[in-house]
Amino acid sequence: MASLDEEKPPAARKSRLIFRLFSFLVSHSNVVSVACLIAGCIVLLLLPVLAKNTYISENALMPGAAKSMFSNQDVLEANKLVRDIYDQRSVEPKSGTYIARLIRKRMEKVGAEVYHHKFKYDNIQFHPLSFFSSTTHSAILQNSSGCVSSGVNSIGIIRAPRGDGKEAIILVTPYNSEDIKLNDALSLGLAYAVFSLISRAVWLAKDIVWLAADSRHGEYAAVASWLKDYHNPVFSSDPWGSGIGSCFETNNLHKKNDSLFDEVAHNVFRRAGTMSAALVLKVMEKNERRERDRLDLLAEASNGQMPNLDLINIVHFLAAHRQGLDVNVGSFNFILKSALIKNLGKVLQALSKLAQSLNPTWKFGVNSGDFVEGTSTLASSMYYQALGVPTGSHGAFRDFQIDAITMELSPRTSFNNENGISSFLLRGGRLIEGVVRSVNNLLEKFHQSFFLYFLTAPDKFISVGVYMIAFALLAAPLPIVAAALFSSTSKATVSRNSDKKVSSSESWKWLYSAKVVFIVHLWGLMISLLPYPISRVPQTTSTNNMLAWIVLSLFSLLVLHLLMGSSRSHSEHCNWELLKSVSITAASVGLCLMSIINFSTAQIGAMLLVPLCLVVRPLNKQPQISLFPKAVYGIFSLLLVMATFPPVTLMILKGFFHGFSSVSMGDFWEFAEFLWVWNSATYLYLMLVHLPCWVLCVHILLHP
Amino acid sequence: MAEIRWFWPLVVLALAFRLLLVPFADSLKLGSRPEVATPLTSLRRLAEGYWLKQSSLSPYAGSMYHGSPLLLTMLGPITMKRIQGQPTHLFCSFIFVFVDFLTAMLIRAIGQKLVLKNCKSLKLLDLSKLIESFVCLDAGGVASLIYLWNPFTIVSCVGSCTSPVENFMVVIAIYGACSRIAPLAAFGWVMATHFSLYPVILLIPVILLLGYGPDAPPSKLFLHKNPSATRSSIRIFSWKPVVYFTIWAAIWSCYILLLISIFLKGFDGLSEMLKKTHGFILKVEDLSPNIGVLWYFFAEVFDFFRAFFLILFHVNILFMVLPLAIRLMHRPCFLAFVYITISSMLKSYPSVGDAALYLGLLGLFVNELAEMKFSFFLFCGYIGVSLLSPVMHNLWIWRGTGNANFYFATGLGYACLQTVLVVESVSKMLNYDRILRKQLHTA
Repeated sequence: MASLDEEKPPAARKSRLIFRLFSFLVSHSNVVSVACLIAGCIVLLLLPVLAKNTYISENALMPGAAKSMFSNQDVLEANKLVRDIYDQRSVEPKSGTYIARLIRKRMEKVGAEVYHHKFKYDNIQFHPLSFFSSTTHSAILQNSSGCVSSGVNSIGIIRAPRGDGKEAIILVTPYNSEDIKLNDALSLGLAYAVFSLISRAVWLAKDIVWLAADSRHGEYAAVASWLKDYHNPVFSSDPWGSGIGSCFETNNLHKKNDSLFDEVAHNVFRRAGTMSAALVLKVMEKNERRERDRLDLLAEASNGQMPNLDLINIVHFLAAHRQGLDVNVGSFNFILKSALIKNLGKVLQALSKLAQSLNPTWKFGVNSGDFVEGTSTLASSMYYQALGVPTGSHGAFRDFQIDAITMELSPRTSFNNENGISSFLLRGGRLIEGVVRSVNNLLEKFHQSFFLYFLTAPDKFISVGVYMIAFALLAAPLPIVAAALFSSTSKATVSRNSDKKVSSSESWKWLYSAKVVFIVHLWGLMISLLPYPISRVPQTTSTNNMLAWIVLSLFSLLVLHLLMGSSRSHSEHCNWELLKSVSITAASVGLCLMSIINFSTAQIGAMLLVPLCLVVRPLNKQPQISLFPKAVYGIFSLLLVMATFPPVTLMILKGFFHGFSSVSMGDFWEFAEFLWVWNSATYLYLMLVHLPCWVLCVHILLHP
Repeated sequence: MAEIRWFWPLVVLALAFRLLLVPFADSLKLGSRPEVATPLTSLRRLAEGYWLKQSSLSPYAGSMYHGSPLLLTMLGPITMKRIQGQPTHLFCSFIFVFVDFLTAMLIRAIGQKLVLKNCKSLKLLDLSKLIESFVCLDAGGVASLIYLWNPFTIVSCVGSCTSPVENFMVVIAIYGACSRIAPLAAFGWVMATHFSLYPVILLIPVILLLGYGPDAPPSKLFLHKNPSATRSSIRIFSWKPVVYFTIWAAIWSCYILLLISIFLKGFDGLSEMLKKTHGFILKVEDLSPNIGVLWYFFAEVFDFFRAFFLILFHVNILFMVLPLAIRLMHRPCFLAFVYITISSMLKSYPSVGDAALYLGLLGLFVNELAEMKFSFFLFCGYIGVSLLSPVMHNLWIWRGTGNANFYFATGLGYACLQTVLVVESVSKMLNYDRILRKQLHTA
């Protein structure tokens, strides 16, 4: 480098500061990239420490300002519905429609507009074009289909006395209509109690919609199909009509007149304007006994989207500070038990104490227990975001830009303790009433607070500005190393050709490498579409599917190799430094794109991909060092390459958590199937960024 | 001059690839992407305008259609033809594929003329050594292949917008001027100006091309080579084609205006058409997002400053016309490329179709610009921006977690890339002239 600098004319040396800074970074790329990697990992580990306390950003919400009206009277109503459901169950144990009927009657009693929504459960399949355009595919309802493969949602709408019918708040209670359990019945009862209370409220400015979702085929399918029909107008005369009638007919033979009346009145799909928020309400039974009732918040929607932080804030505020519930967001147990994290927490605590003793104005105050809990919560929320699969039926709302969360309430006592349940219902009802009242105050849709954040505790969050630092530090080495490799090759060729005439194509030499990289990415696109034909073959096991996928993709790689890269002349043009530079650039573009689509995927992907990209170099072109470090380096890079192949990574992770005996060939197929069923962009990332980059790294490793 | 291997198979493959994509045009939804279809070029709007015309309303009623009435008569009836189960604009897409092919062929012809002229002038300068090293690629073939295989061209061809036709007219003008066919050049220039107004600044390169002929090294060098020769014997500005061009341009514009006034008889006529097409371009009335930078600015600006900033932004293009013309007078084709790039950067409704045109023309100067720095950076930048733009749009419009700034940031990045491209290519072209001079002095 120094000699090259000397060759430059003096005018060029006095270039601008930014160019000098950049060339400094590039010339010391090894040191810089290692430093960035380490700093990125440290920042990632420190994220729980950097979390801030949440605060309610939107002034209009005013949670807890009004006195709660939910009383013991309402709890009695709830209990009555639960008992009715159980009585009815003993009369008609087989069919599930009695619950829908029961709920409809209750809704009518409180003066709500009621209708039933019949939906057909269709097995979701792999649609190659359906990524990012979720609302296009609309299934056509077939009247001939029976009630077996379909469900019936019951919906009640309370029109707000002070509203204009253009905004609504949604309450969702999923229940299993085939086999109703006490917790489902309790959640229905609780929702009904709140619903009937709100129907009498004078302060209501937004319509309240209660969706009792028939979750026989999964909660998500029921809620998503209702939402789709809510937002897509259907112009056919009456697509639901005959269907619902047939569902009720079998049960209502003895009251024919009644059912006829029902059919006409309750099949009209009604709407209530744009939805400002949705609350999915579930009562769960946890076996452990605690001092307080427990509330679990689930918020992750598809592709790592989160609801506005204000919604979580008001629920947390009301639950923790008004009703005294124990609020939790998901966390990983294995991290809570991990000795490594515990020790790290202790070290951080000691460090913060040391810092405080040096200068009392520094307030780091790290508590090791908090750190461990924060880490486990952060890890779980990062995992669920990275998977890109919604954690509950609230995910369906996020696809329509509606903020929604699932509230899982669980009592401190067992369900048999009536007093305990009553006080639990009272608290739950007051909580929901408070949240509804708070959202009712909203003047605009949620926009004040954050959409991009991680939770480390129910009342602590990390905003995008902080967690992006970790990713930026991790990803920064890629462009720097790419630039370093690129400039080193161009300098080498210039010095080689300095005696000759300037040959014109030198500065376009990267095109050959770009061609190779492009072909490999094209291959990635091809094999990401391969599961479509494979999954059409009936009756195969996942192991066979996986084998077919592997064989086909290897075959297509071979064909592409023979078609495009066979001639020897190309390999002369294509030296490994340029190839690595181009492939690293492609990987960094892919990672940056993914960090916008789904940050967590990009973060986890970067942790695997960046070391691989930095380490890999041809095995027989190691730097001039002695044999032993050379061998160690070679083995290390081989191991890294092995470990970052997606199926192997999955296998290692599965073996780590569930024991290696459970690992099988078809695991990756099942995982991929899981991802594309939910239209997760993680699948695209794996196939279009990670896998091609891995193949290119292997290609570089085996470069002659 | 090295021929490109597999030139024709690659051309056929490119056209076949387009035809393969055409049936999926609707499910790809390219026609509604803001990057592809602007209010001026959208075929959906054209169909709407034709519908209005059929129901004996003015096609410009209701601020839906802003294109030319001629396009309406040419493409309008075709937009009505539908086949069940096929994309709505199937036949138009076929026409655009053909138009793309013609454009590529014209670009190839331009490139061959440029390379011939280049060889001739290098021979005149006695720099045969340079001929060996520099003129090694069939620039026309490269340029036409770049044009045909550019994803931007493919997207704008399949994505049912009229920018292939506009690009075709611009290329006709340049081709006509290069081969000194005054009527053709005049026709291309007048039509291109009529379609999208901005090609009006191509008047200067077209006149220079007609007067001086295609690109050549600066005339100083020729004087240096043989001082005995008079200035006029080396580079003469021939007035004859220019006069022809002026007459033909007048004839064509009268003819077009006549056709339009016949077409719009019974409605408000020419003034309405000018207000709704060129006025719409100049006034930036539609502030829906696109990949340019003007929509964001005019969405923010106060109303009483609007006129001032409108003038400022449009004069911005005109400011650059004259200095560039003086500096690059000896290379009119390159001057045309620079003008097209600048106007597609600063125009009010840019789309990727404009980028397709200037990237294709960039290929014409592949021999002169071979030493271009930042080529890899620019390449990656274009790929990154074109992938980032839909993602940011999705984040803003569909997910609601981003906002307009997210999308505008990619537009800003795109503008920066174009600036780097223009600056880099102009400086490399001037550098090339400098190298020629150095060679001449040492020889």
